[in-house]
Amino acid sequence: MLRRYLALRLLVAVPSLLIATVIVFTLPRLIPGDAVQLMLAETSYAKDIDELRAKLGLDRPFHVQYVEWLGRAVRGDLGESLWTRRAVVDELAQRLPVTAELALDATLIALLIALPVGVLAAARQDSLSDYVVRSLAILGLSVPGFWLATLLIVLPAIWWGWRPVTGFVEFRADPLGHVGQILLPAAILGVASAAALMRLTRGMLLEVLRQDYVRTAWAKGLAERSVVIKHGLRNAVIPVVTLLGTQLPQILGGTVVIETIFGLPGVSRFLFDAINQRDYPVIQGVNLLVVATVVAVNLAVDALYAVLDPRIRY
Amino acid sequence: MSLTRREVLTLGGATLAAATLVPRAARAQTPRRGGTLTLRLWDPPTWDPDLTISYKTHIAHTFTHSRLVRHRAGPGVAPGTFPVEGDLAESWTQPSETTYVFKLRRGVRWHPKPPVNGRELTAEDVKYTVERFLTLKGNANAYMLRSVDKVEALDRYTVKFTLKEPFAWFLDMLANPMAVAIIARECVEKFGDLKPAEAVIGTGPWMLEGYRPNVGYTFVRHPAYFVAGLPNIDRIEVTVDEDNASRTASFLAGKYDLGWENPGIISRSDWLQIKDTLKSKRPGLRTLEFPGNVGNHLSMRVDQRPFSDLRVRQAMSMALDRKALIDALYEGVGVANPPGVPVALKEWSLPVDQLGEGAKNFGYDPKEARRLLAAAGYPNGFSGSVCWATYGSTIVVDHAQLVVKYLKDIGIDAKLDTKEYGAYISTCFYGKFDSMAFGPQTPFLDGDNYLFGYYYPGEMKNQSHVNDPVVADMIVRQRRTLDPAKRREIIQDIQRYLARQVYYTTSVGQVYTAVWDGALKNYGPNLGYDYGGRLLAAWLER
Repeated sequence: MLRRYLALRLLVAVPSLLIATVIVFTLPRLIPGDAVQLMLAETSYAKDIDELRAKLGLDRPFHVQYVEWLGRAVRGDLGESLWTRRAVVDELAQRLPVTAELALDATLIALLIALPVGVLAAARQDSLSDYVVRSLAILGLSVPGFWLATLLIVLPAIWWGWRPVTGFVEFRADPLGHVGQILLPAAILGVASAAALMRLTRGMLLEVLRQDYVRTAWAKGLAERSVVIKHGLRNAVIPVVTLLGTQLPQILGGTVVIETIFGLPGVSRFLFDAINQRDYPVIQGVNLLVVATVVAVNLAVDALYAVLDPRIRY
Repeated sequence: MSLTRREVLTLGGATLAAATLVPRAARAQTPRRGGTLTLRLWDPPTWDPDLTISYKTHIAHTFTHSRLVRHRAGPGVAPGTFPVEGDLAESWTQPSETTYVFKLRRGVRWHPKPPVNGRELTAEDVKYTVERFLTLKGNANAYMLRSVDKVEALDRYTVKFTLKEPFAWFLDMLANPMAVAIIARECVEKFGDLKPAEAVIGTGPWMLEGYRPNVGYTFVRHPAYFVAGLPNIDRIEVTVDEDNASRTASFLAGKYDLGWENPGIISRSDWLQIKDTLKSKRPGLRTLEFPGNVGNHLSMRVDQRPFSDLRVRQAMSMALDRKALIDALYEGVGVANPPGVPVALKEWSLPVDQLGEGAKNFGYDPKEARRLLAAAGYPNGFSGSVCWATYGSTIVVDHAQLVVKYLKDIGIDAKLDTKEYGAYISTCFYGKFDSMAFGPQTPFLDGDNYLFGYYYPGEMKNQSHVNDPVVADMIVRQRRTLDPAKRREIIQDIQRYLARQVYYTTSVGQVYTAVWDGALKNYGPNLGYDYGGRLLAAWLER
């Protein structure tokens, strides 16, 4: 059953991905004005406009370009960066680990904060700790990540003449330094997600804790931990997982600013530079990667539903 | 506060005083080898110096590449002056007005990297470089050597340039880091062009060791650099840091040895915010102030109505309250630039109060401006558009909005037509607009670029579409006048003439605050991209 459910979800993901590829491929071509003319004027990607059009494959009909691009993309060929002249896939392979690590760490930090705090707030509803936690959550939602990052960089420099490590520290070169470098930006990214997840965890858990079966569990004399975690949290967590899935694009969006502030050479920063450089193969490649990641994460979230709640089936 | 002529002279005097005092102190110290200097620079859009006009590339090449001649650097050189001295050229002669013969130093070695592997530089390398510079499609700076008719390698160490016509600024062009970093043919042949970082191979004092986009790069000492004992500094660690808060924090924490903006400065607003903190955090820090050479102006289609009417142009110039602009934009410390050559180039620029009859056009007089507009047939003003780009700078945004506000005060309804940076550079920056355009201009180091580029008919940067035979003739004359004193007279005449014609509404510019770590000795800040040149003989005492 589970296998069939996953297969069906996978099938549904394919058209989503295809539609996304059409958008990713079309958008750069909808920019007003002759983008190629601008590229030629600003950069030195080719000797003349005809050469640049040919280089970008723009000298052929649109549908032919799309099919060719998609065919290559499926085979793992996203073209060559006009800026660095390296294969886009190679560039992404070099930068993806940085962004992936940042996003994963941010998600992990968000979960590590949100779940226990959300459970605590729900279990101690209307207590001082509940109010404190809820206030902090609103603060976490309200404070923009870039502002928090700015404060965390500038204030220690003013007070103690210290700032976080600049330049990227490779894990292989200095594991501790690397973790120390990633931790702060990941925490900043994770805070906003943690606030949203915590509020939802609390709300859903409160709803579940009022269900009859929970009252039965209390009546049976089960320990609080067992009632709240085993009977309550597992049933409350499905919307939280959904939210976690939707948080990923937000976290990925946040990495553009955070990678710039902390000097991390990730995919988001690469995309930002590519836009400035009008490096269209890279823009398309990165967007395709982001779209594919979001589709994959949503697929994983759907799969997780089935694991968390065996009643969910297609 | 705007700088008066007296203040500019005082500034210059202070600079000169510093310049003359410091070298003695520096000479009294013994240069020290070693150490690592840390800088904030930029990701070059490409590493090929001939395929970009970006300072981000040209600055990086001042560390790794040599030129035939260069601008002398060090604490003895007053900012805003650019004496020329030999770099690869040991000496040169000028047998005629159109001929230059350069004798190259012997034993100059390329960096010990493939494909050149440290071979000796020859006259053929210079010839190849100049010919590539002149003929490479996509080299927007090729105009700087447009006067060159041919270049010949007379023997292994002698290069002869023949010009099409006398060009008094020829050596200045060769010395400018925007042009002619000497490259090796083998590199171009191996890599197809010089875009990849692996192709950054020169004869300069440092070698590019590693480059990681968005992170930074490292320069290490060239062991066979042609000046014995130089450079003193072993390593230069460059951080690419695109966030101002991050840069500020890094500087406060002592992670950058020079100010983080080009050319080793800190902007006035940032400086005012951190200078008190720096007194305790970095007490040895040294500073020097001098006018910046980035001019800001409003260009307009003077080949069309209403801007073809002199009275309209005069009115627009009189509409600007330059003192108020300096107060608003630069915390009260800035310069009101004359037309043509900005105040920063002190050897060539004529201050506003010496512009003669045209000086009145640079005073704030909205009443007279309205009268002139009415006399020109626009009693109710007129409307137009101002093409511009933000440059990602709040100062540029404020500047554009204030200029538009002042125009509005006299009845000119100028709508800001905001363009994305790239679109702006490829269109309005090169005069492709219908009404007006506004923005900062390229910071040149010579008078000619400011005059020939912006005022000679048909030039790419002639944004206002000026076609005035009088000014064109004077510009050509100054180009052909080799005697600097006589050339200065012509340039001053040009500026007086331009002040009367106001083909551009010239606005105000910054006074730079150059900042460097106290441990960096024998360093003298200046305008221009030549970071490598200014650091060549400097050393670190930490």
